[in-house]
Amino acid sequence: MQQGRQLDEIRINKELLNGALETPGWWKWAVLLLGSVVIMGVVVFGIQTNKGLGVTGLSRPVFWGAYITTFVFWVGISHAGIMISAILRLTQAEWRRPVTRAAELLTVFSLLTALSFPVIHAGRPWRIIYWIFPYDFARGLWPNVRSPLVWDPAAIGTYLTGSTLFLYVALLPDLGVLRDRTTGWKHAMYGALSLGWRGNPRQWRLQTVAGVLLSALMLPIFVSVHSIVSWDFAVTPGVEGWNSTIFAPYFVIGAVHSGVSAVVTMMALMRWLWKWDNFIRPEHFDALARLLIVVATAWFGFTMVEMLFSLYSLEAQELAFRDMQMFQWPWAGLFILFLLTGFFIPVTMWLFKSVRNSIVLMFWTSILVNIGMWLERFLIVVPSLARKQPFVYTWGSYQPSFVEFALMAWSFAFVSMNMLLFARFFPLIPLFESKESQIFTTEMKIGRTTIPAVLREQE
Amino acid sequence: MVTQQDSPYNWGMVVDIDRCTGCQACVLACQVENNVPLNTENLYKQQRIYSWIRIERYWEGDFPDVKARFIPILCQQCGNAPCEPVCPVYATYHNNEGMNVQIYNRCVGTRYCANGCPYHVRFFNYWEPVWPESLRNQLNPDVTVRSRGVMEKCSFCVHRIRRAERKARGEDRLVMDGEIQSACSQACPTDALVFGNLNDLTSRVSKMSKDDRHYKLLDDKLGTDPNVVYLARVEEKVEEGAAAAHG
Amino acid sequence: MASRITAAAHDDRPTFEEAAADLVNAKSTATSSASTRAFLILGAFVILGVVGFVMKIADDGLDDRRAWGYYVAMVSFLLSTAGGAPMLSIAPVLAKANWIRPVMRISQLFAAIGVLTAIMSIPLLFILPPLVEDEVRRRSIWFGSPAYFPHIWDTIAIFGLVFIGLALLWSSSIPDLAAIREGGSGRRQAWARRLAPTFIGTWGQWKSLRIRIGVLSAFYFLFLIFTHVLFASDYIHALVPGYKDAIFPMYHALTSLQAGVASVILASYFLWRYAGYNRYIGINQIWNLAKLQFALSLLWFYFFFSAFIVFWYSRTPQNEKVIELFDQGPHLWAFLGALFFSFIIPMWTLMWNFIRVSMRGPAILAAVIIFGTLLDRIRLAVGAWAVEGINDKFLQVVPETVWPDLWDIFMFLGMFAGAAFLFLLVTRLIPPVSLWEIQQSRLISKPGMYMRSEVEIVGKPD
Repeated sequence: MQQGRQLDEIRINKELLNGALETPGWWKWAVLLLGSVVIMGVVVFGIQTNKGLGVTGLSRPVFWGAYITTFVFWVGISHAGIMISAILRLTQAEWRRPVTRAAELLTVFSLLTALSFPVIHAGRPWRIIYWIFPYDFARGLWPNVRSPLVWDPAAIGTYLTGSTLFLYVALLPDLGVLRDRTTGWKHAMYGALSLGWRGNPRQWRLQTVAGVLLSALMLPIFVSVHSIVSWDFAVTPGVEGWNSTIFAPYFVIGAVHSGVSAVVTMMALMRWLWKWDNFIRPEHFDALARLLIVVATAWFGFTMVEMLFSLYSLEAQELAFRDMQMFQWPWAGLFILFLLTGFFIPVTMWLFKSVRNSIVLMFWTSILVNIGMWLERFLIVVPSLARKQPFVYTWGSYQPSFVEFALMAWSFAFVSMNMLLFARFFPLIPLFESKESQIFTTEMKIGRTTIPAVLREQE
Repeated sequence: MVTQQDSPYNWGMVVDIDRCTGCQACVLACQVENNVPLNTENLYKQQRIYSWIRIERYWEGDFPDVKARFIPILCQQCGNAPCEPVCPVYATYHNNEGMNVQIYNRCVGTRYCANGCPYHVRFFNYWEPVWPESLRNQLNPDVTVRSRGVMEKCSFCVHRIRRAERKARGEDRLVMDGEIQSACSQACPTDALVFGNLNDLTSRVSKMSKDDRHYKLLDDKLGTDPNVVYLARVEEKVEEGAAAAHG
Repeated sequence: MASRITAAAHDDRPTFEEAAADLVNAKSTATSSASTRAFLILGAFVILGVVGFVMKIADDGLDDRRAWGYYVAMVSFLLSTAGGAPMLSIAPVLAKANWIRPVMRISQLFAAIGVLTAIMSIPLLFILPPLVEDEVRRRSIWFGSPAYFPHIWDTIAIFGLVFIGLALLWSSSIPDLAAIREGGSGRRQAWARRLAPTFIGTWGQWKSLRIRIGVLSAFYFLFLIFTHVLFASDYIHALVPGYKDAIFPMYHALTSLQAGVASVILASYFLWRYAGYNRYIGINQIWNLAKLQFALSLLWFYFFFSAFIVFWYSRTPQNEKVIELFDQGPHLWAFLGALFFSFIIPMWTLMWNFIRVSMRGPAILAAVIIFGTLLDRIRLAVGAWAVEGINDKFLQVVPETVWPDLWDIFMFLGMFAGAAFLFLLVTRLIPPVSLWEIQQSRLISKPGMYMRSEVEIVGKPD
């Protein structure tokens, strides 16, 4: 059953460093393409800042739209890293090893992207620093800590710091390897970054302890980040579609759903682009798909309970909001698309082992999930505002403008470009984890069959 | 943060629905008084008009027995305002005179307050407001012209209040009832809008606010505790039109 | 690499023969005067509980809602502890955890207590206030459905859960029953012959058994959530006018998992300490269970706080009333108890590994958590059932708390005794440690040496 081959350490080094030491031919073109999209995004943002937010499709009462949706979406994606590296590390799931770094990296870059969206979205972005830093000590004017919008940067900032540290600690041994295989300025760079890593037992012990400690400490942050993002919505009593107590765990589990799916997408791309067939194997997709079935079902259960209890009071405006969300064109179409792509199509497909082991199918289903999850946030943010309270006289609608689509495209290009830039200098699959995995996985003969087995250290 | 002090003033308004004819004079007066940007055709199409006070019109009954019902809605100056705690930069806060104040300079335009507001009375400057040359000299010098990217809303004509208070302080007395009128109440031909000090138990607005017909918009549901009191229509129980908004 | 792994010097795990001898003729299940005495005492308490129930009806009748809050709390508590415990034999299996095997059976045995839950849920149908009263329909998750819907569906849910639980218990003990049939004696053997007449362990039988256990497990999980959603909303949530809390059923279900894990830890500790199963249940089980317990205790607070912050922040009149009813007002004592015993104390103790990796620490904390769950259920059920005017739109007056009377205390004693009675009763037939899980665990894992460190090699079959 074990699909992995036993590889010696020289082979592992050679294969996994192929991104950092020998750049593949397509890399330059991909970065160029993504870079041009990023530049386009910056230009569009400049235009928006110059003209005002009128260039978006926002209106009254739909004051929040695609930007906030995309913000929540990227915060959701960022939950991939901790889910994969911390939770699976603490539960000792062996199959996590090849994807930990990529997942962590996705966390860092998607958080950076997410953080830029509140800035893009604000009316006067040049003053946004006031959110986080008190701007007038003398007069005692501080940010309003009662506002969830102040909790957001605090939570995301903590998460970003933690994830970066986590990524860096896990990168240290590989930086040591790279330092020893490069010359010139690269050697100096890796040398400085590797902080004198020699790989002696004390360093390894410290590195392991740091990893475990960071995993445990990051878990509360992992839960709190998306909870706080969900409270942006949930604590607003004036908007019926938002004011729901279930939002915090509902958003977190939805975030895990979309984050882990994004990891699947990324794994497929890594396998295809860098030809790491020896490391990213169908068994990893299989394990992730099993995890996703559980997560997606739990998430769907939360969705159902959320809807059930939002209809519970049967108030006219609540019904009007649900009517718009579920039955009015084009929202009804989006709603059906959301249900199909977010849950029914992928989960039904993942029930089959042949799908779970097919990389092409896993790639496309994971993309479907993220389409669905974006729509989920969109369908929460917009119709709730459009049908806010019984003042039917000012109810409205919303359609994203070109500018908003452009900046959404920018966010995807930004994350992908950063990933590629990172892959140019650092291995996307951790070398030492792969070597450790070779030690920790073994085989076991029971009667006439051989099954994969893992080593567990005794306490 | 400014500490809450006792103030002799608690500014409030009574809106007598029974007297409102839906003439929109208040809307126009407010627009002129407060330098509210022009509501052009484009703004209407973009659903981004500014209307610090608006007349909502509801139809009641079936044709041909149709009645129009009007309700003027302005910032309710909530005592427990949903817009205030959500602002990250304290651009909107509650002052000690019972008013919900917007500080344009401090606003960064997150529009969170507008989402929090259940009355839809907060307006965002999506574009830089422009006035045609002919209207430049009409702008009220007492009121800030807001730039793009900030929120604005009914201020209870705070500049008028401040001017009267300054004058009264100079003469070492309190502002008398009737000394200040907001632009909308001044313009109302039927006297449906009455402005005054709710702390002064003898003022017209306090007396009216204790009328049997009084109610507050959404207060029983959201507990916003508005300083704007509505008086229901007389000839029938409040149902349908007004009650739809009453919630 | 793999070749560096060598067999360990010694393997002190029980061999097949030893395990079979221990478990098939288990000491605790053998009839003895001590166990007879235990059954007699527990039986007496159960009768006391029945007396309390009858007297309660005689005193207060079925219509006085305030009088029945504690009874609802009892059913809710049983549904949480005994209902949640079997989940432990489901969730870790998905993660292919090997440590869970020795306590799998213990967690499934709790399904037997479900019989008591089901019996105790019958009177609830009579005291549940009608959906439609004087043409006024109160708020519920049933919207426009016929008025008998909550009764029917709640019955289906609770009885279905109990039925699936018992089926799961039976299915997973068939191989053990077969062993008893072959190697046991007396009345146990006769029962085993009846319950597992044909199982001889062919490849096909094992395969169908595995599928059966898998399907039943999945159904148990779904039914548990379903039951909690219905129970929490019909018997607690819907009785408080103006209370709209989407996470509440999930909170009820989650705390049920927490209490279920606590129950399993406690039962495992007793079996290890007093019933002579210390060769099977050990530190590895308690340690892993304690980790799970720690995570669930943190989630207790998370789920509670998710609702609390929304209510507290929004400051709407009805939300303030709900907070007052359940958290700050008349039920502050129960709320603080639940907060301390279900969250604060477990968090500050279980976060230390030296406590988790002991036998006694997690066991004491499990008892604390079960007590916390009890207080939590009292807070919710008594609070909700004390409310007057359930047809109002909003909660107008926060009622005073109701203190238990003598009959309530009798019923509490009866409930605990009844649960213990049922648990002990099934252990007389079914070994509390699963023989086949132990055997399989022995097959699938073995101690080994990697270089100079001791390791355990665990197989992960598909």
